[in-house]
Amino acid sequence: MSVLSAEGLTKSYKKGINAAENITFSVEKGEIFALIGPNGAGKTTTIRMIATLLTPTEGDAVISGHSVVKEPEKAREHITYLPDEAGAYKSMKGIDYLNFMAGLYAKTSAEQSEYVKRAVDMCGLGERLEERINGYSRGMIRKLLLSRAVMSRPDLAILDEATSGLDVLNALDIRKTIKRLAREEGMSFLLSSHNMLEIEFLSDRVGIMSEGKLLLTGTIEDLKSKFGARNLEEVFEKAVSGEVSL
Amino acid sequence: MKFGALLKKELSQLLNKQAIISMVATLFIFIFMGTVMNGTMNKLHEDEEDSTWSEETGGSISLVNCDKGEFVKEMFEEMKKNNTTVEVLSEENDMAAWQRIMDEKELKTLAVIPEDFSEKAEKGEEPSIKVVTSVTGTGLSNMIKDNTGSVSAVDAITQYLSDKKLEEKGITKEELEKLNDNVSLVEFTSANGKIAEVPSSAVSGLVMSMSMIMPFAVFFLLMMASSMIMSAISTEKIDKTLETLLSAPVSRIHVLGAKVLAAIITALLNAVVMMIGFGFYINGASGGTISSAVTATMSNSGVDVTEAVKIADGIAALGLNLSGSTIALIFLELFITLAIGLCISLILGALASDAQSLQTLLMPVMFLVMIPFFVSIFMDMNSMNIVGKVIMFIIPFTHAYTAAGNIIFGHTGMLVGGLIYQLFFLAAVMYAAVKVFTTDLLFTMKLPESKAAAKKTK
Repeated sequence: MSVLSAEGLTKSYKKGINAAENITFSVEKGEIFALIGPNGAGKTTTIRMIATLLTPTEGDAVISGHSVVKEPEKAREHITYLPDEAGAYKSMKGIDYLNFMAGLYAKTSAEQSEYVKRAVDMCGLGERLEERINGYSRGMIRKLLLSRAVMSRPDLAILDEATSGLDVLNALDIRKTIKRLAREEGMSFLLSSHNMLEIEFLSDRVGIMSEGKLLLTGTIEDLKSKFGARNLEEVFEKAVSGEVSL
Repeated sequence: MKFGALLKKELSQLLNKQAIISMVATLFIFIFMGTVMNGTMNKLHEDEEDSTWSEETGGSISLVNCDKGEFVKEMFEEMKKNNTTVEVLSEENDMAAWQRIMDEKELKTLAVIPEDFSEKAEKGEEPSIKVVTSVTGTGLSNMIKDNTGSVSAVDAITQYLSDKKLEEKGITKEELEKLNDNVSLVEFTSANGKIAEVPSSAVSGLVMSMSMIMPFAVFFLLMMASSMIMSAISTEKIDKTLETLLSAPVSRIHVLGAKVLAAIITALLNAVVMMIGFGFYINGASGGTISSAVTATMSNSGVDVTEAVKIADGIAALGLNLSGSTIALIFLELFITLAIGLCISLILGALASDAQSLQTLLMPVMFLVMIPFFVSIFMDMNSMNIVGKVIMFIIPFTHAYTAAGNIIFGHTGMLVGGLIYQLFFLAAVMYAAVKVFTTDLLFTMKLPESKAAAKKTK
């Protein structure tokens, strides 16, 4: 069952630039799907259209049965989005931030408390949650934001550069958590990253993007065999350079 | 529930500790300034009342006398007969000696009868009195002359010379007083096409105070609310929290509404604090008369200040008072102006990409708010030439500054025209603001890059 189904998503700007062109892919329940591509490939534009921040010029994406064009608010009930380099409200305490965000997703106060408890357990910030965010390191903010992104158990969590700013151990911990949430709780993830090792470790399937187009999608093993590559990095290099016909 | 959470978050960010401290500090500064002004004004009044000499009862005077002539001796004798004690502080015709006396006796003013006083008086010429005034500081209180014996000496000598001249002309004091009594002054003021028995100084003072308080409140409210809403939007963009917030299951209109409402609440709170402080200041500066008169006029409740009630009655007779409906109209004007300011700020705030561009974007709003404010303080827009009037009319904030004056003086055309123009302006900027906030423009709109910056980026 598809949690996300993107059909012909296109975003054009007035100057005739197509930031994303005819993007079609799907993400199944419990699946981790990653979009990879060089800078300016259109990954963030695609993700922003799915997160209902940008309106597609053409095409549509359906999230858990709700169109991002026709019912953006309904669609947002089923997703969370963690942008690259996202911040949190600096004047708030960590716990207040989680409470505020949980309040936006929860339908009852009991649900809100449950979300906060889950985020507190997951972020591992302990007593530091009682401090204001302006005293947090970049890594601490990222952990806070990641726990916020998964606390409401969304159908689809969209994570742009999920582990940026985290040290090796914390990044590893987050990757394990993502994998566990997908396998054990059936959460779906749409990732975007430049870190090929991370994508190879996490993803069930990947989509390679270049110049606003989705060049191909497939499991990592399929792509490796198709391109005769030893790892995802080689697949990426060959796909983007056009060495191998797609 | 979600709107409440959004509003709470916005308020907690705007009404933080620093903002509350700054608000309280502002209030105390105004109260302090008002207290200082009040003290100075009271000292002025007290000094007027504390004269050491009067024509009717006599008293004491002190001075330096450098004249050994008969006229002065005779003058002192006459004064003594009229219950006036004359203290001659020195007879030295030397400025250093005068300085010494002023220092020793801590005098701010010293009267000196020069050595040719008697000679000139006897010849029928106009004699002079030298008055030395000490300036020791820059404050207003330092500029007030004290009422020591020297100031009284000048009054006493002037009176003596005047009596002497009357005597020479064969006019008695009683005759002069009778003549004065036959001419009494009753002040009337013409305004708004009507005439009422009220001193013009009182009316202009009251109108001035009202036409200053209103623009001050509008100015402050606009500046505060505009900068707050701009910063609320741009900070979300700069700190990269906006995308997270807008991808949550809340309506963008709710997010926008919470920001606007929080900015209005905070700005109003600030304005109330400022108005209380400004009230203290005005009250202090006017020695309490203006505020009593304003209260009496506004509430028509018969404040226990006779003078104030008289002014209030006069103002009412001239049709210059503000009724409940006119006050409501002023508030409507204020609300429309505030809404325009907020919509413009929302659009500009969405354009900001960093703190520097935020400052740049804030500038045009500040100018548009400041120009009509200062113009309205120093001149009446209705008395400007047509070009000036058109320019001022186009600036949408002008109409809030001029509303009270237009209502008071019956400039209905300007008032109604301004309101209609503002409503159209509001509809346009509100449409633009909603468009920006509910479409991709919020993320794609940015200030045009300068050629140098664009080159650098490349």
